[in-house]
Amino acid sequence: MSNIIVLPILIPVLAGSLLILLVKKHRIQRFMSGLSAIATLVASLFLAVYIYTNDGIAALELGTWPAPFGIVMVADLLSVTVVVVTSLVGVCCLFFAFRTMHRERERYYFHPLFFFLITGVNGAALTGDLFNLFVFFEVMLLSSYALIVIGGTKFQLRESFKYTIINIFASMLFLAGIAYLYGITGTLNMAHIAERLDGLDEAGALPVVAIVFFIVFAMKGALFPLYFWLPRAYYGAPIAITALFGGLLTKVGVYAIIRTYTLIFTQDVAFTHHFLILLIAGFTMLLGVLGAVSSFDLKKILAYHIISQLGYIVIGIGLFTPLAMAGTIFYYFHHIFVKTSLLLFSGVVERITGTTDLKKTGGILKTHPSLAWLFLIPALSIAGIPPLSGFFGKFALVLESLQEASYLIAFVAMFVGLLTLFSMLKIFINAFWGEQKHTNKQAQTPIMDVLAPVLPLVFLTIIIGVGAQWSFGFSMEIAEQLLDPSIYIDSVLKE
Amino acid sequence: MSWLHIFILFPLLAAVIIPILFKKIPRVHTGWFVLVVPLAVFIYLLTFLPMVAGGETAMYSLPWIPRFDIHYSLYVDGLGLVFGLIISGIGALVVLYSIYYLSKHREALHNFYVYLMMFLTAMLGVVFSDNMIVLYLFWELTSISSFLLIAYWYARRQSRYGAQKAMLITIFGGFAMLAAIIMLSIMGETFSLQALMAQSDQLVQHELFLPAMILILIGAFTKSVQFPFHIWLPDAMEAPTPISAYLHSATMVKAGIYLVARFTPFFGGAMEWFWIVTGVGLLTLLWGSLLAVKQRDLKALLAFSTISQLGFIMSLLGMGSAALYYGGGDEAHLHSMAILAAVFHLVNHATFKGSLFMVVGIVDHETGTRDLRKLGGLMSIMPISFTLALIGSLSMAGLPPFNGFLSKELFFTGALNAAELDIFRMETYGALIPIVAWTASIFTFVYSIVLVFKTFFGKYQPERLEKEAHEAPWGMLISPLILTVLVVVIFFVPNVLAHYVLEPMMASILPPLAGEFDIHIEAWHGFEPELFMTIGVVVLGAILYATLRKWIVLYNNMPRALSITNAYNSGLKGMESISRKVTDWHMTGFSRDYLRYILVIFVVITGASLFLLDGFSIDTANAANINGFEIILSLVLVGSTAMVVITRSRLTAVIGVGVLGYIVALFFVVLRAPDLALTQLAIETVTVALFLVCFYHLPRLREKEEGDGINVFNLIIAGAVGLLVTLISLSANGHRLFPAISDFYEDAYELAGAGNMVNAILADFRAIDTLLEIFVLCIAGLAAYALIKLRLARREQDENQ
Amino acid sequence: MEILMSVLAGVLFMAGTYLVLAKSLIRIVLGTAVLGHGALLLLLTMGGLKTGAPPILGIESTAYTDPLPQALILTAIVINFGVLGFFLVLAYRSYQELGTDDMEQLRGTEDE
Repeated sequence: MSNIIVLPILIPVLAGSLLILLVKKHRIQRFMSGLSAIATLVASLFLAVYIYTNDGIAALELGTWPAPFGIVMVADLLSVTVVVVTSLVGVCCLFFAFRTMHRERERYYFHPLFFFLITGVNGAALTGDLFNLFVFFEVMLLSSYALIVIGGTKFQLRESFKYTIINIFASMLFLAGIAYLYGITGTLNMAHIAERLDGLDEAGALPVVAIVFFIVFAMKGALFPLYFWLPRAYYGAPIAITALFGGLLTKVGVYAIIRTYTLIFTQDVAFTHHFLILLIAGFTMLLGVLGAVSSFDLKKILAYHIISQLGYIVIGIGLFTPLAMAGTIFYYFHHIFVKTSLLLFSGVVERITGTTDLKKTGGILKTHPSLAWLFLIPALSIAGIPPLSGFFGKFALVLESLQEASYLIAFVAMFVGLLTLFSMLKIFINAFWGEQKHTNKQAQTPIMDVLAPVLPLVFLTIIIGVGAQWSFGFSMEIAEQLLDPSIYIDSVLKE
Repeated sequence: MSWLHIFILFPLLAAVIIPILFKKIPRVHTGWFVLVVPLAVFIYLLTFLPMVAGGETAMYSLPWIPRFDIHYSLYVDGLGLVFGLIISGIGALVVLYSIYYLSKHREALHNFYVYLMMFLTAMLGVVFSDNMIVLYLFWELTSISSFLLIAYWYARRQSRYGAQKAMLITIFGGFAMLAAIIMLSIMGETFSLQALMAQSDQLVQHELFLPAMILILIGAFTKSVQFPFHIWLPDAMEAPTPISAYLHSATMVKAGIYLVARFTPFFGGAMEWFWIVTGVGLLTLLWGSLLAVKQRDLKALLAFSTISQLGFIMSLLGMGSAALYYGGGDEAHLHSMAILAAVFHLVNHATFKGSLFMVVGIVDHETGTRDLRKLGGLMSIMPISFTLALIGSLSMAGLPPFNGFLSKELFFTGALNAAELDIFRMETYGALIPIVAWTASIFTFVYSIVLVFKTFFGKYQPERLEKEAHEAPWGMLISPLILTVLVVVIFFVPNVLAHYVLEPMMASILPPLAGEFDIHIEAWHGFEPELFMTIGVVVLGAILYATLRKWIVLYNNMPRALSITNAYNSGLKGMESISRKVTDWHMTGFSRDYLRYILVIFVVITGASLFLLDGFSIDTANAANINGFEIILSLVLVGSTAMVVITRSRLTAVIGVGVLGYIVALFFVVLRAPDLALTQLAIETVTVALFLVCFYHLPRLREKEEGDGINVFNLIIAGAVGLLVTLISLSANGHRLFPAISDFYEDAYELAGAGNMVNAILADFRAIDTLLEIFVLCIAGLAAYALIKLRLARREQDENQ
Repeated sequence: MEILMSVLAGVLFMAGTYLVLAKSLIRIVLGTAVLGHGALLLLLTMGGLKTGAPPILGIESTAYTDPLPQALILTAIVINFGVLGFFLVLAYRSYQELGTDDMEQLRGTEDE
């Protein structure tokens, strides 16, 4: 029964392969694509329910080779939730892409690449082997290199080159890190590493290796000081792809940090977590939001916010208490919903007005009120206004910061929140209020078809906010499971 | 779920239906339907009055997020109930007024009433919430609805500016308040206000007491436009006048006052509280009244007047907090008079200011302007409006027979009492309080007279007006009329108000004294100092008004640079420009810079931790031996590497990399990895071939580069990276803790039927890795193919799709 | 031997980094190739050098070299090759489309 753990990886990979053959047949391709995305979502939900009702964790030895000699897939609460959310966001972005993606891009392998990307993400979330993580990362990354450049416009070529080189460098460092860790621990299985490192007296070179890994994941996760490639790269790609990346890709880096820093690298928490991670979180939040404040383009502002919000997510890891970790997890998912919906909305704005430059837009409230009000919800959520989800994430993190007497980070968090609100207001005031700057013909643009895929995400940010009793409770469960590595280790090694 | 819970949410629920009503029944002004809502709430709340007047309270709680102790809890006491009555009562009057003020043909009424209903729920939620987080929720909701209402006519730039300003300042205050709430919850381990109050004695000594106090006050001051946060109110006057009358004079701006009153039992008695609240209040009082005099726009005048009057109330709350220092007895009762004055004026201000705003709205509506220079002589044309305005203004100025007189007298009493205090170091500064109070009152008198006289007396100038002026329709006059009647009635029967309204409010603010109040407000109590102060105000005020033209020019000397709103504007601009500078400085678009930053930071952090954490070690114990062949290989490796780096010719560089690859393959052979060697040879050959194909198709690429020599900075960074890699490698090597797991694979033949262990791992034990690597190749292929074939021209219309 | 290999890996990383920091697209691509080689050497070193015979069961021996890092390296070689290939094509297309090989000229302006 635990074979279903591979389904969220298997379905996309098969779909992607199949879709390679279908590129010339447009309608069948779309049908298969949509169907597969939904199938992946259903499978993920099924897996999630199964895991939740069965001790909250399960492991699958591939090829029945016992861990740590073979590769193990581990589905714990965090992995399973990541997979569900990934599939959901995938579905929303895909259906949005149906309405907006250029035909040519679809002919040149957008769909297969999309599914390979999902494969990579799901695989990274479910794997229990460090090198396998690297391989899944590469699957995901290479798909992303391709997606970000698909279409080959000058802008895309230029920015994707920068994106690619930085990520390749990170991958090389990843290999180096794996080498070091193997040298010290002699194994590649994460649970096995954790078991071996448990109760170690002298940390030795381990914190340094931990930092190497952190740098690697931070590069992929767009944390300071490694996020430089993001705003421009995201700006040039088609909006469905940007939304997909903004919601998913950077999160995988954060996922990897969460996984390794709760399971493996817990030797010198004071230095690695409390000092280093919090410091980086602070800088990320601040510089990210300053970038947003200085921009006058809708997509750029949102891209900078991605960076800034990632800083928030990481605070919880830095504080390393159960409530803080729960805050991180909660914020992680909240951000995926909010950011994806905001980016997709910006795509709708572009469809109506033909631009995302805030100096050239205005008066959308008059012609498309539904867009305006729907936009306002995630915008307020990201600024932390209750009872939307953003508030509870911020609330938990600020509460823990004050409890742990990290006053500086609490102050930075609130200050950044204010600036986030400021930049969101700028969007609302310039694009939705103001005099109508788009033509009357543009005012007639129908948008119900592109709004529909975004609705579930908006809905979710409201639900998990108002229903914080359950959603935060669930985050607490995830956090508690993460902070007790023995659960993970036992599940994998005692099977 | 109690009725109160439902009634508070009722406006929000009604808001859902409003747009439908607007669309389906356009013939009836939507306002008539909306009127039902605040009226219903008002009547419901009245039913609580007897209970509260009798000294009882009620608590209704609905669990929401027990994990965080966040509940939808409502607490009904004097303070909350009276606020609730003001909110719903004046709300009803404002809706009635708006029916005549806003045309149902030209206005987007559905938006207007939806925002208004949102606000109504939010405001009620603020004053009845017992749970601080829920209070915060409703607090921010008021900011949002105010934002939407101020820029109701969002095509106007001024409206948008005003809305943004109000939002930023109040949300800033909101965040400060949230921080305070969290601190308080850490201190008292609860989010319930009542539960917190019960612990006030123990918590006074807590280290977070003062920070929480300051942050709460920032929240209160931003919302209640106290100096220096008052700057958003004049710009908020962009909103339609019903909104200015409702939010920005009677209700939302009083939320901060509510907050201060509500927290007085907790923070009151502390010296810092006394000084900050009183001081800021007095400063605001004076500042507002001074600036009101010079305003030419009627609404701006009223805005500054509101600022001033809120300072009035705030300062009284501060002065009265001294009562809590004493705890009980005569001294306490003496200072409780200030609290009485505060709550009394709260009610009075709502009546006369609301009425005045509505009258100003009438003038604006009927003449087309609010500019004092163009108005004048309207007395005979609009007699009823004139009467209402006169009564309202004289009450504001503090003259009998109007309610304003009574609260002004009490204000002076409170100020004089405060001056007598010998605690809180008042001996030195105490005398200032009555002086400031008195001075501000003089200016209040002046601007009140300005308001009435400049609009209604003087010469009628029809040529400067946009419309032909005439009296307002009856519908518009009802609401201000009702309020004005109250202004007069309260003067004559203040003690009815005192018993039902004021005493319960005071009981909430000064719990130790509850039940002992024995209030008698009298218009005449002899030739007390207060009376002389009032007479002085009238006399000096009249003189100043008469000589207004002479001294008003003094205002022009006030340097523009000092204006706070300029500070706000430049602050915003400054922030944007700093952001731009910081962002442009590091986001250069140049990948080399990016990599440099990344690498430098990487090197610094990792290197530092290597040495700080004592991670470095070298262990040569188990080192394998080196023979001559290997040394030669190493030298060749280093040599070809150097060649790749130094050469200017791209072709040579490529060949060099190929050589490098082959050397690595040789190393594989030496180090007992034959499979690797084979693979490496093959791949390296293909790689070099790829490069050469590239050059074939792009011959210019093959040329020699213009050299700029060795870039020293890059060299240093690269060197650091290389060094670091080596050092960590050595340390990891020296720190081998565990034997590798590879012994398992020696049984490969039995397990997998393979004699070559590496192959067995690849094909069997870790097959999924191999499968995935194939996919990687496949993806690379697809991507390369797509890259070569698909070229979207720049000018294509949906190139960004 | 381990020390020597560590140093060599360091040298390769240094060279690779230097190349990657260059202005020319082609040099950057070459740099990644060099970096890749460095990473591979590291993997091999960490597995323990010359601890036994090559890991083929046909060769009788008491001890074998660690096969696991070798398997990892093989996978890494292939992956790196795939990435490199793509990267090269990207550089090729960029040069074709943008007309220049110089990264500094490829900064791009704010508004595009």
